Amino acid sequence: MREAIVAHARDAGPVECCGLVAAHEGVPTRVVRCANVADTPAVRYRIDPREQLAAFRAMDDAGEELFAIYHSHPATTPYPSSTDRGEAFYPEAVYILVSLRSGEPELRAYRISADPPGSAKAVREVPLRAG
Amino acid sequence: MAVTVRLPGALRDAVGGDNKVTADGRTLGEVFADIERRHPGFRERVLDEEGRLRTYVNVYIGETDARTSGGLDAPVPQGSEVMVIPAMAGGVR
Repeated sequence: MREAIVAHARDAGPVECCGLVAAHEGVPTRVVRCANVADTPAVRYRIDPREQLAAFRAMDDAGEELFAIYHSHPATTPYPSSTDRGEAFYPEAVYILVSLRSGEPELRAYRISADPPGSAKAVREVPLRAG
Repeated sequence: MAVTVRLPGALRDAVGGDNKVTADGRTLGEVFADIERRHPGFRERVLDEEGRLRTYVNVYIGETDARTSGGLDAPVPQGSEVMVIPAMAGGVR
């Protein structure tokens, strides 16, 4: 999974890549590359909503659930920006960030959620297993 | 007319924790109003102050993007599935 996300980030180069990770019973099964349809993809990401719809349907059909949402920061740290926090609407998912700011890709994973609902969103780093 | 409304992501909080609800209505606006009756507060999560779909919320009625088929006036055929999908987005600016 880590290799697939890093490969996507490298392929996207100077623009932010984005995608999903599906899981079956909590175990990640596959990485789904999605198109970044943001107006300024070098500094923003927005997963193509049609691809999101297709991914949700495919996960449903396969008995999978959403595990993670990933995107790259081509030139900055692998930490959720204020925009990343503000636009995080999936408390059930892990948010994976991959930074390519140095030669060695850095991956970090977070939960971004408002608990209780409606309160300010908090960011909590979670361990990312190898594999 | 009953339709299934699926709500992945944070919107499930607005309907008591389920990611799927059944609702009645012939248009998207009627379906949302029906959900609001049972789950007060839902409407403001998906609509802005002027009653339009929030920019970060995408709605599909079957395969049709509700924004391109009338917004809240979009027809919702009986038995169809409505997906209310929060955007997956962010950025360093």
